[in-house]
Amino acid sequence: MKRVSVLCACLLAGAAWAEEYSFDAAEFEKKPFEFGGYLEYKPERAWLNRDGAFYALNGLERSTFDRNAATLKLNAKYNQGIASFTLRADAEVRRDELSSERIKRFDEAYVSLKPDPGFTLDTGKQALKWGKGYAWNPVGFVERPKDPNDAELAREGYTMVAADFIRNFDGELRTIAFTPLLLPVSGAVNSDFGKPGHVNVAAKLYFLYRDTDIDLVYLGRGSRTPRFGIDFSRNLTSNLEIHGEWARITDFEQKVTNASGATTTQRESVTSSLLGLRYLCENDATTILEYYRNGTGYTQSQMSDFYRFVDNGLSQFQATASDALLHQALNLARGGYGRPNPMRNYVYAKISQKEPFDILYFTPSFAAIINPGDRSFSLTPELLYTGITNLELRFRLYMLNGDAQTEFGEKQNLRRAELFARYYF
Amino acid sequence: MKKMIAILLCLLAMPVHAIDGAAILKKVDRNLEPESYEMLRKLINVEPDGNKKEFVLYSVKKGRDRIVALFLAPPSDKGRATLRLGDNMWLYIPEVGKPMRITSLQSVTGGVFNNADILRVDYTVEYTVEAATEEKDNYLLILKARTGEVAYDKLKMWVDKKTYLPVDIECYAASGMLIKTLHFKDIKDFGGGIRRPATVETDSPLYKGYKSVMLYAQIKKREFADKVFTLNYLPRVEGMRK
Repeated sequence: MKRVSVLCACLLAGAAWAEEYSFDAAEFEKKPFEFGGYLEYKPERAWLNRDGAFYALNGLERSTFDRNAATLKLNAKYNQGIASFTLRADAEVRRDELSSERIKRFDEAYVSLKPDPGFTLDTGKQALKWGKGYAWNPVGFVERPKDPNDAELAREGYTMVAADFIRNFDGELRTIAFTPLLLPVSGAVNSDFGKPGHVNVAAKLYFLYRDTDIDLVYLGRGSRTPRFGIDFSRNLTSNLEIHGEWARITDFEQKVTNASGATTTQRESVTSSLLGLRYLCENDATTILEYYRNGTGYTQSQMSDFYRFVDNGLSQFQATASDALLHQALNLARGGYGRPNPMRNYVYAKISQKEPFDILYFTPSFAAIINPGDRSFSLTPELLYTGITNLELRFRLYMLNGDAQTEFGEKQNLRRAELFARYYF
Repeated sequence: MKKMIAILLCLLAMPVHAIDGAAILKKVDRNLEPESYEMLRKLINVEPDGNKKEFVLYSVKKGRDRIVALFLAPPSDKGRATLRLGDNMWLYIPEVGKPMRITSLQSVTGGVFNNADILRVDYTVEYTVEAATEEKDNYLLILKARTGEVAYDKLKMWVDKKTYLPVDIECYAASGMLIKTLHFKDIKDFGGGIRRPATVETDSPLYKGYKSVMLYAQIKKREFADKVFTLNYLPRVEGMRK
């Protein structure tokens, strides 16, 4: 009887094991057509900086500003022999207290031909990402600007024809890959890339040499002025990675204003660079640290002139009800003064701690962007929870600090709180 | 006199019977996987309250130190791909759009398995045999990391004498601290001469109450071009699936 009981117990345990850890590989057979994506809802509230230059320019006249946004991202792929078609679609609805906006676009839509693992030809709209930096990429010559506050956010690509050649070797040089591309710009295609009427030539040459990634990148004269650069990335130990970028832009043009609104176009060759590291501590905290020297940025005195010009515009508006100067300042803001991190020197630091206090699937993080030139900064604590299958919940708070006439002291917001709920399918 | 001769003979014979740990480790490597293969794996992270989180990966390997893994599930991770070339590791996230370097101690899936476990290359590539002894049913190999970039400084590996397959592996940090233990279970015939454990379970004193499990399926010998194991190919690795 004892033996029968033991046998029964063993059989039950075996059945429980099989039940607990089943794996039906047939469910994962490759299909010619696959799709997925996510649906996201994001309410946010901003506490406005009524003394800020960008508050004056945007004319919001309130102390808080609420916005709701819903986003659908759809990814699809169709494979047929050596060809494949990739699609990434983006549909967004944003509603705030003043307006609503609908966005529908393809972030990517391209055909790939891959006759051999060593050669690929891509035609269509695609988002190439060059560079090794986390928050900034000075060598990102053929991509839309990255928002360092949300560096991992998907971005819209450009329409291009790109090829990819790969060669492997034995020895210290293990890989060489060459990626040339043609990027046309006209009134209808890639119109925001630069001057129309050009087919821009760009290329990236990649080496894996002595366990170090090295890229040489180039963009020829065309819609933008010519530029070239280099980047690298390497693991120093099993928990420490270092990376860097360097870019030289010749004949870089930028509109600069004085305090009375007289603008001149400056043309000079500039150099940008970035040095960073990623470190994993024993307690599972990851630190990213980067220093960015932005050669295309404005100097302290140039930004001060711009802020004074906005002040003058505001004084004129209050005295005469004429918004001519404010309009001019707004155009300058759209032209460069209002871009994220428009100045010369920045430090980025982010620390994220995986599952602290034994709270499963919970990752708090804390990011800081510091402008050491004017001692202003933004702090961004974030809470991320991924414990529910296919659901991601994220809370982020941006806190901006700085005196008058400093970068973060003149922004539109003092604080901004965001909540993301993202469901993957 | 007879006794003395017998003792002398025994002493002379001893080196002949010394255990060749390096040869055992080589056998373990080849018995676990062929040099070049493709396979499917399911990773299950089990929490102390019994909740589970599952990932499915398609992996291809070539030679002793080149491996790629592509996430097929869950939807939030689908399309992510990781590449390992010797000590170099990268992660490609479709949303981010470019591969970034990762380190062996991080974990792309969370749970007790880290990147070095998920993208495991041959043991002989990363470790030398420091000592080999014989126990009742097993050999015990003490393995020492060849470089500081290897995830674990030292391994204690118990190898079944009959099958030359690992039974348990204890993984230690340079400080001597036990990081985790891997348990190899459920030996299964995958066809093509591949007979190996279909389940690897791990627990760790650093993650009390947690358990991670790796289930293997469809391990097949297959040859791949070297170019598949490059950063530029990583976003396209899904094309390798048949």
